[in-house]
Amino acid sequence: MSNDGSTPVSDQSGTPVAAPETRPARSPGRERPAGRVSRFDREYRIDRKMRHAVSRLTGQALGPYQTAVIRIGFAGTWLLFLLREIPHRQEMYGPDGPWSWDLAQQLIASNHAFTALMWADSQVWFEIVFGFAVLSAALFMLGWRTRTMSVLFLLGVLSLQNRSIFMGDGGDNVIHLMAIYLVFTRCGQVWSLDARRERRAAAPRARAGHDEQAEEQAGHPRPDRSGSRPDRAGIALWAVLGLALAAVTLAGKIDGGMLGGWRTIYWGLWALQALWWLTGRYAARSDQPRIFLDVVANLVHNAALFVIMAEACLIYATAGWYKIQGSRWQDGTAVYYPLHLDYFSPWPALSDLLSASGTMVMLVTYGTVIAQVAFPFTLFNRRVKNVLLAVMMTEHAVIAVVLGLPFFSLAMIAADAVFLPTSFLRRLGGWVTRARVWLLSRLSQLPRLSRLSRFGRFGRALPGAGKGSGADEETSEESGEGEPRPPEAADHPHVGFTA
Amino acid sequence: MGIAALSLPFQIAAALTFALVAMVACVHLGMVFLHVAPSNTVTKQHGQAIDEWIYPEFEQNWKLFAPNPLQQNIAVQVRAEVKGVDGAIRTTRWYDLSALDGRAIDGNLLPSHTQQNELRRAWDFFAATHDNANRPNGLRGDLSERYLRRIAVLRLDREGAGGAGAVVQQVQVRSRTTNVPPPEWSQEQVSDKPVLRQLPWWPVSDTDRAAGTRPVNATERAVSAR
Repeated sequence: MSNDGSTPVSDQSGTPVAAPETRPARSPGRERPAGRVSRFDREYRIDRKMRHAVSRLTGQALGPYQTAVIRIGFAGTWLLFLLREIPHRQEMYGPDGPWSWDLAQQLIASNHAFTALMWADSQVWFEIVFGFAVLSAALFMLGWRTRTMSVLFLLGVLSLQNRSIFMGDGGDNVIHLMAIYLVFTRCGQVWSLDARRERRAAAPRARAGHDEQAEEQAGHPRPDRSGSRPDRAGIALWAVLGLALAAVTLAGKIDGGMLGGWRTIYWGLWALQALWWLTGRYAARSDQPRIFLDVVANLVHNAALFVIMAEACLIYATAGWYKIQGSRWQDGTAVYYPLHLDYFSPWPALSDLLSASGTMVMLVTYGTVIAQVAFPFTLFNRRVKNVLLAVMMTEHAVIAVVLGLPFFSLAMIAADAVFLPTSFLRRLGGWVTRARVWLLSRLSQLPRLSRLSRFGRFGRALPGAGKGSGADEETSEESGEGEPRPPEAADHPHVGFTA
Repeated sequence: MGIAALSLPFQIAAALTFALVAMVACVHLGMVFLHVAPSNTVTKQHGQAIDEWIYPEFEQNWKLFAPNPLQQNIAVQVRAEVKGVDGAIRTTRWYDLSALDGRAIDGNLLPSHTQQNELRRAWDFFAATHDNANRPNGLRGDLSERYLRRIAVLRLDREGAGGAGAVVQQVQVRSRTTNVPPPEWSQEQVSDKPVLRQLPWWPVSDTDRAAGTRPVNATERAVSAR
């Protein structure tokens, strides 16, 4: 895409950020007359493809919109779930619920699952952890200090779910796994408060970015990132979390295990934040450590994104292939049965209506199996994949209501969303932005609330394509979800602890 | 930026990281695959290593309604022996706790896990950790009994079993399994007779009373107040 040139380019790397498409063009051997010896050409082509792949995997955190949408999806699902269960929180996770602290203690002693709720059996501690889980989910969804919040979000999810494992269902299971995987992604590149802060810090430096000036206080100098502006909130957050971690470690609350287990993981992530900050701080001396860490972060992100996609495929493949072996899925009546289980029929009349026709039930039964089994393979064809994706999401939306599984369905839709095409996600972002602008303009008619309209945009800075001005409708043709666009503004190193 | 912007030593380090990250991702996916796959040659040989990698945090089960969907409604019912305010011991009627759950779910856009999963999964847990003679299979079996008992007492107290001020002394749990009637458009015949599985009476101790249950000494206080 053509936006790369106009975005502010990192001032540390020394090398301008080149769009990956142009990179192979600069590689040696380009001048060689084409078509002279085909074997050389073939080797050269393979070589070029390899180079291209390596430079993409190390140079970019792929799928910025996809990772952002699943961040919002999973954190939002978990947040809504927690809010819905507030009245039942004691019964589900409280120290004196049916699955009491004592029972949980005995089970966890045998399986070593991580949960902060086992650190103390007091009522106060439970309320603190529950509140912490709600807060971390909200902040992670908004993308405030995304990388730190991803760890705190994981902490909240594990603490509650592992405390009462017999309370969950498939939806909790998906969130559990994805919360772990999300820690390894740079999921705050777009649609996050981090991205907005980044944009605002970058705007004054890029002289051309005058369309931003309405939002930036003019004349307010912002030193560049290798400069001296201390990221106070980030440092404070890091220090507080370090102290908390030290206290918990000294109290011997975190189980060890292989290579130190969670202790190593939490301390390691904490140390990485410091390392990231230090390399940015002293980037003027040498930019190499910073670029190296950036490469590592990209590699880990891309691997995690791949694992997330593969996990979603495994879910569908398992669900599909096991169904094939079932007699009810073979005789075409399977869908009838869940609709008539007392625990999964909140709308009995609707269930009856849906299962009134045997042919329809059979079509849905067969269709479900076909879709689930086929899904992983359709990823090789964008168009078929998108059709199937729409089918899956629709089916989950129906399940949410008909089987009374709203949070399971929401989690599955969030998992599906990782396969959505970038062009669609950008359009979606545009709609959300416009809806918000419209909403805020309505609100700002009340003078008291006019300050709200200064909240940043819910999109990535698109220099030259001001959002909300209709320009975000530039959808382009599918710019390739298999090949997500290079992360423009987010590509340069982040301020403080947003690595 | 990417790897091209790095000096040679860092490039080597990046290449090593690349290999390590790729390896961990592939091993992890392999482990998860073997975990969700049916029992096979590899899982039989390396089951231990797979379990160590997967448990406890990567456990998963996606046999959603598979191979066959559940075709029975399993209702968990409970009755109690209560000590009334007058000190008399009475046996209550059977309370159908699953039916109460079902009623709470009916017309509910957002069913709570306490209505949809708590009792249902507690019974699954119990059934999976007990043999046909209702003997527990070790620690998990014991835990499941205590869990089920605590749920039973909590629910009975909410229903006010035995009348005001009565305290549950013992509980008895049974499951009532009914086949889902076959669809109208099918010629299939299944028995519509429910199958009962009745557990022995369980004495209820103080540790079986979860938050939200009535205080144990309610009776004593009520009696002594006379």
